[in-house]
Amino acid sequence: MNDTTYQNPMMPYLGKITEVRDLASEIKLFRVKMLNGGSQAFADYKPGQFAFVSAFGYGEAPFGIANVPQRGPYLDFAVNRLGNVTTALHELGDGDLIGVRGPMGNWFPMEEFRDKNLIVIGGGIGGAPLRPVIQHVLDHRAEYGHLTILWAARHPSLLVFTDEYDEWSAAPDIELHLTVDNPDQQWDRNVGLITQLLEKVAPSPLNAVTITCGPPVMIHFVGKLLEKMSFDPAQNYVTLEARMHCGLGKCGRCNLGEKLVCVDGPVFTMKEAGELLESFL
Amino acid sequence: MNIITQPQLVSWLDSIAKERPLIAPRNVAGVLLYRPVENSSEIAWGPTRPLMSVKDVLFPPTERLLTIEKVGLEVKLTDTFPEGNVVVFGVRPCDARGMQVLDALFIDTEPVDPYYARRRGNTTLIGMACREMGPSCFCTSMGGAPDDTSGADIFLTELPGGFVLQVLTEKGEALLSELSLAGFYGELPKPSYNRPLNLVERDAWPTHFNDEYWESMAERCLSCRICAYVCPTCRCFAVRDEALLAPGQFERIRCWDSCAGENYRRIAGGHKPRAEKGERLRNRFMCKFYYYSEQYGLDKTVACTGCGRCVDACPVSVDITEVLAEFGR
Repeated sequence: MNDTTYQNPMMPYLGKITEVRDLASEIKLFRVKMLNGGSQAFADYKPGQFAFVSAFGYGEAPFGIANVPQRGPYLDFAVNRLGNVTTALHELGDGDLIGVRGPMGNWFPMEEFRDKNLIVIGGGIGGAPLRPVIQHVLDHRAEYGHLTILWAARHPSLLVFTDEYDEWSAAPDIELHLTVDNPDQQWDRNVGLITQLLEKVAPSPLNAVTITCGPPVMIHFVGKLLEKMSFDPAQNYVTLEARMHCGLGKCGRCNLGEKLVCVDGPVFTMKEAGELLESFL
Repeated sequence: MNIITQPQLVSWLDSIAKERPLIAPRNVAGVLLYRPVENSSEIAWGPTRPLMSVKDVLFPPTERLLTIEKVGLEVKLTDTFPEGNVVVFGVRPCDARGMQVLDALFIDTEPVDPYYARRRGNTTLIGMACREMGPSCFCTSMGGAPDDTSGADIFLTELPGGFVLQVLTEKGEALLSELSLAGFYGELPKPSYNRPLNLVERDAWPTHFNDEYWESMAERCLSCRICAYVCPTCRCFAVRDEALLAPGQFERIRCWDSCAGENYRRIAGGHKPRAEKGERLRNRFMCKFYYYSEQYGLDKTVACTGCGRCVDACPVSVDITEVLAEFGR
């Protein structure tokens, strides 16, 4: 029944899958067209925000939204097949309905980043929530300074958005650096950890911000290295991952000390992340 | 304030029970629990607080949020909001205060949780003063008292042959409407208090985050989570889908959960934060005495009402008052 007093924040909007493509090994990109009320709810969202996606009958889980709304009336979600929900999502295809709740959480303050040089550092599927940052800069190219993209994965087969590298590289004043830990025979780019790549590229901290997403250990070591390279932790942004069951600040699961990743984050500066009572590691 | 005699109270409760579900302390196979009663004769009148808190009336251990029907490519989702008015009789002050703590999260912090809020709106609480504090009770150290009326709609204090009845809210007024009672002009009997605990200042809790104490205290913890389940304020929950009998039909449910559980924060892919028991127990106590009030704007109120249930329930004697004593020295 309908309740006139309260919206139900646990009720998902329906979305229709319009496209599924392989992004990397075990990682698929789902393009979703929101139906009915959902298109209103997702009329606007910001780089770094996330949503809960339901595979009906299996459950729901949080995913970063991997596109900007200006690219079209759809949501992109990169899904790595790992657990029950993601496995069920991988079974779905064009025309299937999923549930989406959101948009949730805070975002990268792209207005504050204007005229600054941006260094985007993505590890593995951590690249997904950074894609809207890249898209936003590409679509507002004159408003931002130099864009450096450092993109890493354990193996070439795990690099995400490979088919978009040409688009990114073709834009003016952008450099894209790739690295993998374990190369295959065809690999002709950098080999090693993203921290090694960062040291090699050695971007200047002057008038710059960094934006990092990846496994917690990677974020930790990237943060340490950036400090060594004279970046102030307040100019380094990260987006943190946590287990969540509601996304509304209720279920209690995603706390780091007294902060809740779902409503106080997921975007933090490394200064804020470093001051958390409880480590994100 | 009014006087209600035992016979008046009994007949009033019986008339309530005829109209709507009446929940009261009841002896269930030797265990005292807040449970629906058919009439007043099923009520356990003793001074002991029930084994479980009254939390599950508003926030059931397992609750259906939605039904999901898949027919071909179509999906139909239906809210399953709770309906109907409920009266709870004999609510202990620690439990009524526990509801206020939960209100801060589910109602006072946006977005409102419609399931909890509906139940809360549909529930009238008849509180009951405790004659004395039980051996593990420490409500008076947590801002409460055995005769604290906070959170109740109507509050009863026992006298020989009857009770003093206080009406505290409009909801209480409405429930009482047709009852005409004699006035009470005396002094309320004062319950005896246990010795209060020395407490650490709320804002000093973060300074103990890295203390070694947590690891040593947690050595005996079994991560069994009973402390969270008996707690009137613990509210962590998990959400998942379950298949119903009919093909293509599912329910989305939420169930109580606890930060003491080993896989509570496990992320698909294997990363397991808070892997150590000490880290998890620390989270429980830090949440009670610092995080929760920071997160939900409770200021000096903490997420512990001093009911002592976790002290009684823990199979390995992890004692929250011991933790308080450790830092309150």
